Amino acid sequence: MFVYTFNRLLALIPTLLAASILVFLFIHLIPGDPASILLGDTATPEEIAELTRAMGLDKPLWTQYFIWLSNVVQGDLGTSVFFREPVLAVIASGAETSILLACMTMMWIIVLGIPIGILAATRHGTWADQLASGGAMLFASVPTFWLGLYLILIFAVGLGWFPSSGFPSITDEGGVFNLRYLMLPSLTLAAPNAALIIRLVRASMLDVAREDHVRTARAKGLHPARVAIKHIFRNALIAVAAAFGFTFAALVSEAVVTETVFSLPGIGRLVVQSILRRDYPVIQGVILIIVIFYMLINLLVDLAYARLDPRVSLS
Amino acid sequence: MSAITSFLAIFRGRRLATFGLIWLLIVVVAAVAAPLLAPFDPLDFDPMVRLSEPGWPYIFGTDHFGRDSLSRALFGARMAVLIGLGSVLVALSTGGLIGMLSAYSTRLGHVLMRLVDVLMAFPALLLALVLMALLERSVLNTIIVIGVVYATTTARILFGLTLKLKNEVFVDAATCSGAGHASILFRHILPNLISPLLVQASFIFAFSQLQAAALDFLGLGLPPEVPSWGNMLSEERIYITRAPWLLIFPGALIILSVFSMNLIGDAMRDSLDPRFKDDIAGV
Repeated sequence: MFVYTFNRLLALIPTLLAASILVFLFIHLIPGDPASILLGDTATPEEIAELTRAMGLDKPLWTQYFIWLSNVVQGDLGTSVFFREPVLAVIASGAETSILLACMTMMWIIVLGIPIGILAATRHGTWADQLASGGAMLFASVPTFWLGLYLILIFAVGLGWFPSSGFPSITDEGGVFNLRYLMLPSLTLAAPNAALIIRLVRASMLDVAREDHVRTARAKGLHPARVAIKHIFRNALIAVAAAFGFTFAALVSEAVVTETVFSLPGIGRLVVQSILRRDYPVIQGVILIIVIFYMLINLLVDLAYARLDPRVSLS
Repeated sequence: MSAITSFLAIFRGRRLATFGLIWLLIVVVAAVAAPLLAPFDPLDFDPMVRLSEPGWPYIFGTDHFGRDSLSRALFGARMAVLIGLGSVLVALSTGGLIGMLSAYSTRLGHVLMRLVDVLMAFPALLLALVLMALLERSVLNTIIVIGVVYATTTARILFGLTLKLKNEVFVDAATCSGAGHASILFRHILPNLISPLLVQASFIFAFSQLQAAALDFLGLGLPPEVPSWGNMLSEERIYITRAPWLLIFPGALIILSVFSMNLIGDAMRDSLDPRFKDDIAGV
């Protein structure tokens, strides 16, 4: 297991470097002079000349890359054109919202996805199964922003149960109760992803149910519920665990849309606004951080996978 | 003829998938015949009738410019089909070629598949957003961007499938009979990949609809004047409390189309060659 972990960490480095090159090149793919792009429209010629020197823009591309990379490693992701603040600080200000939103969403995905998936698999072929799998497929086909808008219309505007937009920090007045602002966004974000988990739990449980060890467990006279949970679900969990990496990517993508619908001050909305404001340093910084985060999540998922299924690390 | 019969055989006994197929046929007919079917010009506006409720003569009601929603929805079907087919074409041709070539030539595979790995490190919509940030809003750019995003998953899947196929006896037989590389790849291996490619195509079609709608909503997809279902939702969203029907119709059209395509994809995957089952897991 140790050797496997080490090898996986080592394998991460080239991909990470390649991704960093792509993110670095992003600024150079935009038509125009990088220094004036980074400084925005209001920059003076002196400022442009200063940044050109600091970033080594008069030097060859690969030298520029190393200057940029060494800045990044030291936590310097540049300065936001719009906020006139360090990019890292701008991103950090959205982190609380996005991380809490992700945690609440994950909770919904697990709380809704796994039990309904187990139910559908154990009642395979009945109306309960058809309702669960049909419903899951339907929710996987709904545009997130559309669902969000109607949840606002029903639960915020109509019933007044939850706030419709914004999110004050949980350190502000209201404390943990401010999490109610994330109720509708997290449900919106969870719906299509929980739908995928339902389908996956169901499919992999049905697969495992056909295996010999399950027949043995049943032949021993074990209670069906015990067979379903201990013998089928635990094995099916391997495939589900592997899907959580994929779910995270979907979360990041859909968080961009959801945070925009609910006007949440998170990283997802920051990406969209930065693109519309042409605040390229922020776009570059956010992408880099999300990609690193995504790779680490995938690594954790793979390690969990290897732990759940020892055959993986042995081969 | 036999290809069509075997395709239709997939739908025997699958009522939901048959419903999906029928719905998609309706969308295609609406897309092709939009100018004939639309009661009004989708771009003509009449401030006198803005935000009309569904009724006669505006069956789906009118938007905040007083444009007829039904006519816009019919022309929106055109965009849906265009974007779906376009992104499938881009994704399958580039992704498929990369995947097949990488599996066939190991040396090329080392380079190309690493590139695919790196692109896959970017979550799908984020990659699309970043690419759209570099390009202008247009129909063609939206198609290319969505196609490129799904080319990576296609490449990964076709890589796995081609690796399996290239060691089969029929490839050895073709090599022995003097077939060249191109002939082995395209005349012997490719025909075996048609059904997994079709399954992949149906999922990409479904996802492209959701991605395009999300891009439109964020203001980074099709140009705002183009009548698409995503743009209809995006433009009318502030009128949701005053005129909720304006968002119901385009939303329902997107959901039905994605749902139908997913049903068809599922049905095709279930009837797929069991050898390929492990490799195709949807997008």
